[in-house]
Amino acid sequence: MCRCLPLLPDAGFYNEERRGVFMADKKKSTAAEAVGGFFKAVGGFFSSFGTAVAKGDIFVKLSLLWWGAGYVRYKQYVKAIIMTALEAGVILFSVFFASQYVPKFGTLGTVKAEMIFNIDTMKNEFNDYDHSFMILLFSLFSFVVWFVAIVIWMRNMVNVYKLQLMEENGEHINTFKEDLKLYIGEKFHITLLAIPVLGIVVFTIIPILLLVFVAFTNYDQQHMPPSELFTWVGFSNFITLFGGGGLTATFGYSFVRVLGWTLVWAFFSTITTYIGGILLSLLLNSAKTRFPKFWRLMFVITIAVPQFVSLLLVRNFFADDGIVNTICSNIHLTGFLRDIGLVSTDHIPFLSAPGWAHVMIILINIWVGVPYQMLIATGVLMNIPEDQLESAKMDGAKPFQIFTKITMPYMLFITGPALVTDFVKNINNFNVIYLLTQDVYTTTNQALANSQAQEVDLLVTWLFRLTQDYYNYKMASVIGIVVFVICALFTLVAFNYMIGGDKEGTYQ
Amino acid sequence: MRKKLISMLLCATMVATVATGCGEKPAEDNNGSGTTSGAGGATSDSSNAGDGGSSETVSLRLWGAEEDQDYLQQVVANFEKAYPDQKFNIEIGVESESTAKDTVLTDIEAAADVYSFASDQLADLVRAGALAAIDDVGEVLAKAGKTLDDVKSANAPDSIEAATIDGKMYGFPTGGANTYFLYYDSSVISEEDAKTWDGILAAAAKAKKKVGMTLNSGWYNASFFYGAGFTTGLNEDGTTTMDWNGTSADGISGVDVVKSMLDITSNSAFMPIADGQISKTIASGDLCAVISGAWDSSNAEEVWKDGYSATKLPTYTLGDKQIQMAPAYGYKFEAVNAYSKNTGWAVLLAEFVANEESQKLHFDMKKQPPTNSNVLASDAIQTDKAIAAAVSQGDFGVIQLVGQKYWDTTKTFGEMVAKGKIKAKDDAAIQKALDNLVDGVTAPLS
Repeated sequence: MCRCLPLLPDAGFYNEERRGVFMADKKKSTAAEAVGGFFKAVGGFFSSFGTAVAKGDIFVKLSLLWWGAGYVRYKQYVKAIIMTALEAGVILFSVFFASQYVPKFGTLGTVKAEMIFNIDTMKNEFNDYDHSFMILLFSLFSFVVWFVAIVIWMRNMVNVYKLQLMEENGEHINTFKEDLKLYIGEKFHITLLAIPVLGIVVFTIIPILLLVFVAFTNYDQQHMPPSELFTWVGFSNFITLFGGGGLTATFGYSFVRVLGWTLVWAFFSTITTYIGGILLSLLLNSAKTRFPKFWRLMFVITIAVPQFVSLLLVRNFFADDGIVNTICSNIHLTGFLRDIGLVSTDHIPFLSAPGWAHVMIILINIWVGVPYQMLIATGVLMNIPEDQLESAKMDGAKPFQIFTKITMPYMLFITGPALVTDFVKNINNFNVIYLLTQDVYTTTNQALANSQAQEVDLLVTWLFRLTQDYYNYKMASVIGIVVFVICALFTLVAFNYMIGGDKEGTYQ
Repeated sequence: MRKKLISMLLCATMVATVATGCGEKPAEDNNGSGTTSGAGGATSDSSNAGDGGSSETVSLRLWGAEEDQDYLQQVVANFEKAYPDQKFNIEIGVESESTAKDTVLTDIEAAADVYSFASDQLADLVRAGALAAIDDVGEVLAKAGKTLDDVKSANAPDSIEAATIDGKMYGFPTGGANTYFLYYDSSVISEEDAKTWDGILAAAAKAKKKVGMTLNSGWYNASFFYGAGFTTGLNEDGTTTMDWNGTSADGISGVDVVKSMLDITSNSAFMPIADGQISKTIASGDLCAVISGAWDSSNAEEVWKDGYSATKLPTYTLGDKQIQMAPAYGYKFEAVNAYSKNTGWAVLLAEFVANEESQKLHFDMKKQPPTNSNVLASDAIQTDKAIAAAVSQGDFGVIQLVGQKYWDTTKTFGEMVAKGKIKAKDDAAIQKALDNLVDGVTAPLS
């Protein structure tokens, strides 16, 4: 932000508006650009592969079959060996590993486990049975390997053709050593990214794909490997969820309520901890606060205690026969609440009645979540340009005005993406809800109970119970996909809104 | 977070399956090498079989509850002594019998060879094909000098019946009387009063004490219905049957049972205890009577000292009748994993954990009520108040066979009764609640 702009009280508003305008057209272009760019890149890759195949010399064409051929021709022997080894690896993998599983992928297995006890060996002897889950998992793994292999194969063609062109033009062809040097020099980013990308493929992409696949099978308690087989059922699980009566007689009823509370919770828990964190850090940053470091330390200590420990402790404090209830009853608060009709039991049902529990969960979450937000906010507040604050003061702005016109817009700008992440995190905030309500909260709503849900369940805790207690993996996957879609859509829209446009320029 | 959870779960299963997948190969190889060596050196093999052991070390994994670890170590030591010709590598792991099913069904092939589980998990485990049918492998018991019929006749007939589905026995009974009964303070409640709910509540009110019971659990609250002749059952597809919203074989309507329950819960001397909080509540000292199981005997004895007494469940008033509550009565079984790599030895180990010697040891060390008839008849059992009370209920206790859908719904129903969400006067609301309950419990699994 430039100093030359007069700091009128409505400067922030003006900025907002201006930003909004820029953003609107910028947003469209970025989204379209991103998608278009992606397809362009893919198309470019295919076309350069095509060119390589069409225009390549005999060795380049031979590389279609023998990956190392082109490198041999252009004397890159180490690369030739590596590519040949890779090709051999893929072939061996396909013949000896993938062939056991992939052919059965269409049915996910047909042979059920049978066993006969052999008294001489004292062992059960099994037939050669199919294990649906292994077939699914290892087929998927094979697909990923083959996909990567095909990309490498095509890429290889492009590279070899490039070598041909370089030779034709009489350019210098790198030796293997020179190539290696490139990867710690110019192309260092590729080296750096290699391991994380591999990690993402193995630990994120494969499990997510597996989850997606399971949603289209009948993998549940009746179809548990290894004794039983499961198979493909198409979209029927999604139809069950959104149409045909649902998972249980009251599934639709429960789904709407659980989703509603999930969103309410995510909104309030995000907003309260966010605002609370900012206020707390303002308080601690204020010149009038004595021993700010000491107070900050106190709050940081609450982070140092593992979250589940403090949550379980708080759950016991607020239990029906917990310490808080004892105190409330000793100071006659319970009696007073009963007199005015807020409570009908001889204790305050902090965590055991709907309404009460909802409010308490959000309040307890403030206590758990504020220190984190405080730390973030402290960092941001320390970076607010001093000159802005000073000039605002000179112009006679009140502290509250400074807060709403400078501090908050600045905070929102810096922490906007984090806010979106927090919201999504809270949609999936398993710990707080599960640890505070498990074994304490019992619903008295039979319609919810008949779907194994409770008023205080988030989608994720409901999902946990459905899978953990009922082994209903197929529906868990379906709900998982639904939650993923909700989170992804929200994140996309929110991120586009928050960091799209030329916002980055606004506070420079 | 959810994604993380799922991916964690999937990763865990992946890792597990990869591990077992890799583990399968050597197993097959073992089989292969086993057969080749059998072909090549048939004489040596058969001589080994004659000795009752083979040169190969047998690896087994045994799971039991945390508090039973030292007991199991002793049993394993005895087991190894009983087969001196065979080398064993037996690994003992911690898995409570109450949660065994959850862990086992996550990955059956990775579960222990032998583990302990509570009888209510039997149907689910059998349906998932996790248990070896003992009848199919029973001939191996000859190595222990027994037949399967010997084992069956050594234990209480009810316990064998509880372990049997479709004529096949799926586990060795190791412990019985997994049930709940009445503990009371005889300085407040007389033996006569302890026979009826009315007597207990009146005596408690006089002494300004409370009577506690867990209602928000289908394990406890079913006792009112079972006593009135209502039933629950399990279908082959895993769904549960329940008739509580109708009229029982004894001609009592479910609505009347609920009214009797509400009469008890609305008494000021009654205190509903949340599931799992009983031990804590006993220790608080507010109670003069509580319904709980053998695991609380030392807690109750500590609080009530000389007044500590235990007896069968009381009767409750329904109209002008007294109805005897009938508790859920469960057993503990020792399971043999169907996918064990050493099924034969696993069966022998499971049988050993369940035999008379081990059951006696288990009672001596851990006060575990036995199922073995000889141990049951011993003086030590007869003089233990809590265990005597528990065992005395064997005649009218109900083996509770229910599916998964039973638990959440009955829990909510019990909570409604405990919290007074339904009123004793409102017959229609009670009927509606019972109908909802039965709908939820009997719903198809998915």
